[in-house]
Amino acid sequence: MNPIKKFLDSTEKYFTGNGKLKNLEPLFDATKTFFFLPSPKIKQIPFVRDSLDLKRYMSFVILALLPVVFFGMYNTGYQSGLASGETYTVLKCFLTGARYVVPIILVTYAAGFFWETLFASIRGHKISEGFLVTGLLFPLTLPATIPLWQVALGISFGVVIGKEIFGGTGRNFLNPALTGRAFLYFSYPVSISGDIWIIGNTFADGVTGATALSIIAPEGEKITAVLSDSGFSLYNLFFGFVPGSIGETSAFLCLAGAGFLIITRIANFRIIIGGILGLIITSTLFFLLPDGSESWLNAGPLYHLCAGGFLFGISFMATDPVSAPGTNAGRWIFGFLIGFLTIVIRLANPAYVEGIMLAILLMNVFAPSLDHIVLKITASKRIPNV
Amino acid sequence: MTPLILRKGFKIPLTGTPDITAIRLPEPETVAVPAADIPYIRPKILVKEGDSVKKGTALFSDKRNRSVLYLSPGAGVVKKILFGPRRKLIEIIISMDRENGDDAVNFDVLTRENLKTAPRSTIVKHLQNGGLWQGFRQFPSKDTAADEHVPPMIIVSLNGNDPVSPFPEVILEKELDYFEYGLDLLRQLTRRVIVTCRQGSFDSLKGAKTFVTHTLPDMYPSWDPGVVLYKLKQSVEENQSWCVSAEHLILMAKLLLNGEYPVKRVITVTRSDDKIPHIIARQGSPVKDLIQKMDSSGVITTGRFNGRSVDPRFHLGFFENTLNLLHGGDEEEMFGFLMPGLSKPTVSKTFLSCLSLSPKDLDCNMHGEERACINCGYCTKICPVDLFPSFIMKALQSDDIEGALNLGLLDCVRCGLCSFTCPSKIELTKHLSDEMDAHFKDKE
Repeated sequence: MNPIKKFLDSTEKYFTGNGKLKNLEPLFDATKTFFFLPSPKIKQIPFVRDSLDLKRYMSFVILALLPVVFFGMYNTGYQSGLASGETYTVLKCFLTGARYVVPIILVTYAAGFFWETLFASIRGHKISEGFLVTGLLFPLTLPATIPLWQVALGISFGVVIGKEIFGGTGRNFLNPALTGRAFLYFSYPVSISGDIWIIGNTFADGVTGATALSIIAPEGEKITAVLSDSGFSLYNLFFGFVPGSIGETSAFLCLAGAGFLIITRIANFRIIIGGILGLIITSTLFFLLPDGSESWLNAGPLYHLCAGGFLFGISFMATDPVSAPGTNAGRWIFGFLIGFLTIVIRLANPAYVEGIMLAILLMNVFAPSLDHIVLKITASKRIPNV
Repeated sequence: MTPLILRKGFKIPLTGTPDITAIRLPEPETVAVPAADIPYIRPKILVKEGDSVKKGTALFSDKRNRSVLYLSPGAGVVKKILFGPRRKLIEIIISMDRENGDDAVNFDVLTRENLKTAPRSTIVKHLQNGGLWQGFRQFPSKDTAADEHVPPMIIVSLNGNDPVSPFPEVILEKELDYFEYGLDLLRQLTRRVIVTCRQGSFDSLKGAKTFVTHTLPDMYPSWDPGVVLYKLKQSVEENQSWCVSAEHLILMAKLLLNGEYPVKRVITVTRSDDKIPHIIARQGSPVKDLIQKMDSSGVITTGRFNGRSVDPRFHLGFFENTLNLLHGGDEEEMFGFLMPGLSKPTVSKTFLSCLSLSPKDLDCNMHGEERACINCGYCTKICPVDLFPSFIMKALQSDDIEGALNLGLLDCVRCGLCSFTCPSKIELTKHLSDEMDAHFKDKE
């Protein structure tokens, strides 16, 4: 017999029934089902079921995120090297980044699973797989220099207020990872605002640098030219060699992840394509307006697409099925309006240089209404049968 | 012949397709009429244990309409009246009288000529006395057809409830005359007769091709009469259409032409690693005779998506002609959620098996645990009648029956595909089906 199976079977008695650790049963169950996918016999129609389950569904999002995670580690080190004027090797970049990024991920999972287990054991249900994804998405939206206590606080807010008080995974109407980030964004704007900190050589302090979106060109110069001069060429923005939150910088890897999720039908392509369309159309409209050549108004759709966290958000955050609409027409509108609002917040609101987080959260709130309207219209087209 | 276009359904080819040849099952020791496969019935038992019965003697009727009778498929002695929990009738078992042969009840004959002029009430009476009226099912509940109701259309389906139910070419073999008489019979009952057949079966039909009015794509459950009705209906009245299976229609024709209760049925038994020929057997034959050997970890169903699970000790029902032997897979799989899955049957795109077109083997395991609905929309993507099963379920959970009805709950054909595809393993079909049943019982 498999040794892991043997160990799990022999320890099961402590966690079930009247065992000493029966309060931790959800944690034990989560561990057990992580190793061995349960597959009980079916009792009612239909007597056959698809092989896809939620564990696999959620693991595929993690799979799509892994390149982003690794590149995030590399880029954190790479930016640090740039800031200190040294050239790091690939390995050094990676290791320097990992020293910052890995603790953030670990703290997120630890804090998040603490709440998940607490709620699961009080309510007596199983730990849902949803947090596996939330726990990896959340760190990727943060700058690498964020204090770890803020990470723990943010994810706690996201999990408890964003999800658990509504009844847990499947019943939240906001994306929990973004809820946590929004909490940090408004509570501790110094650590997590438009000016992203780049980790310095000495671990205690950092070097501030502007992100692409907070740059404004001097009078009479074009924004695109100034962006290129400060290292934000379209090439760098697309491949992600720019400062920013851990996971958001590489447009290329976000698109690759989105492609993977679309091919495997885990993410709905309507949201992603709708969002990109919304962003391109809106930014083109602003581009065609006269004036404003020194600001992002005049940056054009490609810069808007590649800079900031839009592609990360639309690929991984907006496609969270729980907080997105469940109807196809709703998904198109949802995606399109996220793209539209992102640009509007970026350009028309001087207080926030980036708009994707607020755009997604705002549209999350409207997702049930979109569904409601679409269902009403679809139902009115059916031949009534009552 | 018009092809109906459908895009949603279960398209994966399955293993265990039966062979086109047919063998005859030796006469069984016992036959039975189960009540468990009859929807909504409240049986009134008309015999006692120990009574001797002929072929065609009424065993029980439906309390809701006492002229609907269920007849004995063989002559012999009532061996056992089997009850389940809460004294629910499971089946009435007859031990066959082998010496005296088939002693049969005689019924009135209705010749081809008389059929044209026979009043509707006579036809109804003949079929009710002959125990075959219940072959007509009335939408939306698929309850026994109300005898006074003139249906806007009757849908005859040549294919059964399972993807590998008996092939129409086997059912219709040597029975074409009866089938034609049956269609004439239907024209006495309705203005519009629809005969449907799935494309794969249509190509191998010989003489019967001319009768088919609509063909359907080869994906489950496009040939289900409910799906056909959904595709064809233009008005609210058509919601009360009827349907009948080709096999039952042939039985009706035989009853009216020969004056004897017909009991010949064509049955398919499917096992994933086998190609079993069609079996010609007496109606109500014991399951154990039909299946021969059985894998103890599996289940036997009369339709893997929408049938009931049967015990080998029981007998096949009036409405059933398919037995699927589903084997049990591994109860637990190490790192199951990360494996590439080269042979996993799935309608998703998350296993490499979705790239191959080879027939897949469906086992009777859940492949996961129940979770909350994550609104992924997989159920909507596969529903053949364009419902939003997850939204209907949520409406029902909040007691909003009106909302669920507006979303088309009663169009549901209980094909089981929403439950099949759900990654959260939610019993959507059961929720919807139970609520529909409750709704119909409420209306009665």
